[in-house]
Amino acid sequence: MLFGTILVFVVPSPWLVLAVLGLVLLAFPVAGLHLGQVRGTRLLTTTALLLGVLQILFVRQGAVLVQIGPLALTADGVKAGVYVAGRFLNVVFLSYLFVLTTDPNSLAYALMQMGLPYRYGFTLITALRLVPIFEQEGQIVYSAQLARGVQYDTRSPGRFLSLARQFFLPLLVSALGKVDALAVSMEGRCFGKYPTRTFLRVVHVTRQDVTATILLLLCLAATAGTLIAF
Amino acid sequence: MISIEGLGFRFQGSPQYALRGVNLDIAPGEFVVITGPSGCGKSTLALAIGGYLFRQYDGEATGRVRVAGMDVRQCPIYDVAEVVGLVQQNPEAQFCTLTVQDEVAFGLENRRLPREEIRRRISWALEVVGASHLIEQPLATLSGGEKQKVAIAAIMAAKPQVLIFDEPTSNLDPTATAEVFKVIAHIRSKARITVLVIEHKVDYLLPFKPRLVAMKQGGIVYDGPVTEAHRPRPLPARPPSRSPITTSAGPVVRVEDLYVGYNATPVLQGVSLEIHRGEFVAVMGDNGSGKTTFLQSLLGLLKPNRGRVEVLGQDTRHISVSRLARQVGFVFQNPDHQLFAESVWQEATFAPRNFGALDEVTQAQVEALLARCGLGDRQHDHPYRLSYGEKRRLNLISVLAYVPQLILVDEMLIGQDAENAAFLLELLRERVKQGGTVIMVNHDPEVTRRYASRLIFFNGSRTVVDAPTEEGFQQLAALGQEVYLPSIRRRH
Repeated sequence: MLFGTILVFVVPSPWLVLAVLGLVLLAFPVAGLHLGQVRGTRLLTTTALLLGVLQILFVRQGAVLVQIGPLALTADGVKAGVYVAGRFLNVVFLSYLFVLTTDPNSLAYALMQMGLPYRYGFTLITALRLVPIFEQEGQIVYSAQLARGVQYDTRSPGRFLSLARQFFLPLLVSALGKVDALAVSMEGRCFGKYPTRTFLRVVHVTRQDVTATILLLLCLAATAGTLIAF
Repeated sequence: MISIEGLGFRFQGSPQYALRGVNLDIAPGEFVVITGPSGCGKSTLALAIGGYLFRQYDGEATGRVRVAGMDVRQCPIYDVAEVVGLVQQNPEAQFCTLTVQDEVAFGLENRRLPREEIRRRISWALEVVGASHLIEQPLATLSGGEKQKVAIAAIMAAKPQVLIFDEPTSNLDPTATAEVFKVIAHIRSKARITVLVIEHKVDYLLPFKPRLVAMKQGGIVYDGPVTEAHRPRPLPARPPSRSPITTSAGPVVRVEDLYVGYNATPVLQGVSLEIHRGEFVAVMGDNGSGKTTFLQSLLGLLKPNRGRVEVLGQDTRHISVSRLARQVGFVFQNPDHQLFAESVWQEATFAPRNFGALDEVTQAQVEALLARCGLGDRQHDHPYRLSYGEKRRLNLISVLAYVPQLILVDEMLIGQDAENAAFLLELLRERVKQGGTVIMVNHDPEVTRRYASRLIFFNGSRTVVDAPTEEGFQQLAALGQEVYLPSIRRRH
């Protein structure tokens, strides 16, 4: 994802941005995914188009292509439009590609085995574990508030703050309780006893990983080459 | 193995000692059950034996704790952890990873054991708890009982000499509870280790003939074998009313062919029933069978996918939750999830204030309830400063305060000792006698037998039993649901 993002920001031509977008979209079927898994595709495309159109309308440099009354569509405007819309879509689809293809738990274990201190790795894993629990608890607290007659349709900022406090306090208290239990559980199993630890799970580099990395590196090198040449 | 002399502990900011003058000697291989009312210090004692109490909690300690010759108050926690394993109440809260294999490996990886040894120990530990088939599973997909088995395996894998279980079944349904106790018995037979079980449900452990230690207010009040006096005696049943009051206003609850749930397989499928004024209904069944979903549907928190739910003549699809809540009180499972105000008084009057119903009569009622629940002189305290049992009473007061016609209660008795549980149930019983209706999700067959006039049992998203309590138990017996029967009906 990082490589792709860098690539899309350094490529020198707007048409290359579109080419990269094409590659990214092609990566979806290659990874066994389909674009339908990206939520809000329509909203994203509309936003991208809007961004593009704004650039086209308001960038006034460069040769005039079409003149409609006070509005002039310029070559630079079109370029800027394609750049912005293309980059936006690239980043969004790349992020989705990352989220849909990477198991964050495996990523954490892989990073730890690559040298990330294990304390940071387990911070990520704990977060992954607790987020769905807090989401569920948030739903319960909200239900409990409704059951006690709390009404959320308020416009007064003071009242809103008090509602927010009433909502977050139970979650905070529950989180603190969990931290106590977790601390006992981790120390009781010798977490932190040694500066390093062993790992049962070996995260393998697959042929796909190698191919993707080489391809992206080639693209980056080609771009860098072009940039230097010009 | 364990030697405790004159142990005392007072948590910072607390006026009372959580432990006082505790003397206890436990020999290698002993099986000890520690029991006592909630707040008596039994969990604090477990934390002391594991050494956590002296490091993770601020407070004032006296006396001596020795485990396997180590002075627990002085030596590093990791050294104590090599000898003592502690399984906590809530399996969810003690997990450090996302999958069964990673979880059981966690402690071994931290000890830098080689991969092959880790693999060997994982398969051994999972086999001991009877969970070998779960090895590849993500933890989030397991049932409560399976989670606790994995938590036990994760501790067992390090091969401790002392294993402490701190109320290991308080979050589990009777089926899972029976399984976990079976696992504990199996561990006893497989490995000669010292086992301490902190538990309210002593009757489950009596067949193992343990040494019994009873605690009260931080001290040990009994230490010896189990005698007849410790066996639970069935109390007389006294449900408030055998015949529901049918009025021209129609039933309090009418559910017709109800389907509820987000996924392709609804949590409730085709539930139909009517509940009338003056009924005290106990809803039982394994976790995940749809009990909580049923209660949530009655308050309109979940809307039907199919069928209809009418509460006090109102279709839940056409009325907002906060309006229906004026007549329908809901006590949720976890006391901490339902405390919103800054003082006990504010909390007790929170709902009436929201409903615009905090008049002088209500205020007087709340005051009387607080006094009765022993919270009369704590009205200015923050609700989170109360003990677990006190919070529970406050939860119930804040619902009783506005006199809803229907009270829904979801597993209110988890972690409550018999005395506090009886107190809460008495309050509900009185409300039913006054013409209210109570629907209570509950795991304890004795409580159902003693208080409920009707028993509804959920299994596989449907109601499989719906009958007056005694008849309901007969039907459960016929269905082979032995663990849900009160002790006088069990065969063993």
